[in-house]
Amino acid sequence: MEDRASAVFGALSDPTRRALLAAIAEHPATTATELAAQLPISRQAVLKHLNALTNAGLLDRTRSGREVRYKFTPAPLSEAVDWMTAVGAEWDERLAVLRRQLGGAAATRRASAWPTRSRGGAAGTPIQRGGIPK
Amino acid sequence: MTERIERELWLPATPEAVWEAVTGDGWLADRVNLDLRPGGDAHFVTSGRIRSGWVEDVSAPDRLSFWWAVDQEPASRVELRIEEHQDSTRLRIVETRPLEVLDLVGVPLPGPGGVTYGPALVAA
Repeated sequence: MEDRASAVFGALSDPTRRALLAAIAEHPATTATELAAQLPISRQAVLKHLNALTNAGLLDRTRSGREVRYKFTPAPLSEAVDWMTAVGAEWDERLAVLRRQLGGAAATRRASAWPTRSRGGAAGTPIQRGGIPK
Repeated sequence: MTERIERELWLPATPEAVWEAVTGDGWLADRVNLDLRPGGDAHFVTSGRIRSGWVEDVSAPDRLSFWWAVDQEPASRVELRIEEHQDSTRLRIVETRPLEVLDLVGVPLPGPGGVTYGPALVAA
């Protein structure tokens, strides 16, 4: 079963697809030909990426004449309004577990804003953890 | 648009001990199977509930970022940072939903009132 989450992972993990998504979001109703002209890849390659993005629900396509026009649809990414509450509670529970495990009277609090803007293209040191249960 | 969870915890332990605890079984999930390298598979099982995803970046014992999702739910990105300060270690957690992640990677999105935000800085 090809689930939506995997499709979204795949779509976002590729820099070319992120570039395509950015270009389409900026210029709705773009065609593959127009996109290929903007990027250093072939129209064929553009089409392949557009299919992946469409399957992930991130693009909506409409046929107009001989061309297909693409539009960015962020809807699949913005569902579940109670996400903050549920996920926040999960982390609070995990932190409580960690505090019990590693001891001390350490205080937990909401962190102030800290920069995560630099996603950094640099890959971390590849390491292999031993003892992973199979 | 802020779909973002941030937490911080100070622990009287070494960064290595914190790393072991947060990447091992029983913390992120009952059973944790992380292929700790960029692009590696991530698999989490807690009482039958399965989350899967992939490792974005890793640098033991101070940084781990990964994506995870349950079934059809939208994926989210988790970043763990471990920093040693004198005798204690600070663990910082940020979990973000794709909408903000898209913003981070530079995809402009329609914001409130039709305003477009987010710089289109994606390297073509």
